[in-house]
Amino acid sequence: MKAAASEANALLVQKARQGDARAFEQLARDVERPLYRLAVRMVGQVDAEDVVQDALLAAWRSLSSFEGSSFRAWIFRIATNRALDRLRSRRRHPELPLDPPAEEDDDRSWAEPAAPGPELADLAADREALVVVEEALTTLPAEQRAALLLRDIEGFAYEEIAIITAVEIGTVKSRIHRGRLAVRNALVARGWKGSAG
Amino acid sequence: MHPFAELSAYIDDALDPTAKAAVETHLHDCAVCRTRLGELRGTARLIAALPAAVPSRSLVPRVSVPLWLAPIRTLATLASAAALFLFVASAALSGLRFSTGAAPAAAPAPIAPNAGAPATSVGAADRGTGLSASASPAAGFAVNPSASPVPEAQRSTQTDATKTVTGTAAPPAAREDAATTGPAARTLSVPERPQLGPSPWVWLVLAVGFGALALVLQRRLRAA
Repeated sequence: MKAAASEANALLVQKARQGDARAFEQLARDVERPLYRLAVRMVGQVDAEDVVQDALLAAWRSLSSFEGSSFRAWIFRIATNRALDRLRSRRRHPELPLDPPAEEDDDRSWAEPAAPGPELADLAADREALVVVEEALTTLPAEQRAALLLRDIEGFAYEEIAIITAVEIGTVKSRIHRGRLAVRNALVARGWKGSAG
Repeated sequence: MHPFAELSAYIDDALDPTAKAAVETHLHDCAVCRTRLGELRGTARLIAALPAAVPSRSLVPRVSVPLWLAPIRTLATLASAAALFLFVASAALSGLRFSTGAAPAAAPAPIAPNAGAPATSVGAADRGTGLSASASPAAGFAVNPSASPVPEAQRSTQTDATKTVTGTAAPPAAREDAATTGPAARTLSVPERPQLGPSPWVWLVLAVGFGALALVLQRRLRAA
């Protein structure tokens, strides 16, 4: 089933590269929502639609330069870049680094729980935990956030994320870990006990 | 040494076999790391469980055009051209008057059969020749061909007053008829002429309408 779907997808990609506008529109419809949910968590709801629409239009215009094997990774790359550009343009000082300086990863980075709170064993389904996660994500540096969302929400492999964000795999690994750690710390600070592995 | 930095990659199955084995060995003996691993897994699951926002509208750019666009554009262009042609033909056939003074000019004609008639017929000829120069012979004026020798004579005295005199057998003939039958002259100026369907203006409106449609569709095609 999946093989057939990816074959059909490959056919659409080929047609689109040859200028078939309808094939491209079909591909765009398939990625529209995933792109949007990434954009929302990157730039917020106000600008997300613009970012996605710009990205899809840019993708159509530069289809001839698409060479890789994964159309999805390619289009996510365009969208992620647009989202990061949008964030940079919002800042008054674009020379601020988007990544914090490298730090020793030792026990100090692991926040300890605050005073023992109520048992929240089923937090996975609890809306409160999700709110904490949402808030924590917005405090992450943009590039950590992008890597974490691409991994945990979109399910891209580290290699694909490396292509999408144009960095080494080691950097991807570090960003994902730091991002997850920061979210974990935020949860623990609110009394989260952590779900069973 | 706890391999904290590897724990996330371990969860994501992104470690090479050697590193993976090393982590597993460590986890076997380290409760702290097992706890941390569980917390990281739980965090990843929570992130995955975030509600997915949906866009309020379609974000797919319109890069394709509907299949019917080009053919309809072509048809509209052709229809516009056809309507324009029909307008011109219809207008020519019905001897389109561009001013409204034609009817009253023909009415006083029977009153002044000699002196007045040439003057008014000049006026009529003046207005009528703009369009009827070539078509007047066939204008269905119910012109009697026997009146031709008279127009010849009249024409020579009225060249300065008329714009175009070639083939204007009809207006002098109308004067002739006006001099003899008054009511006939009046009815002659009223369009009892054969027309091509509805009034010529209808064709012009259609031509403009189709032309505008073709223009709009062409723009849409270009924009794609």
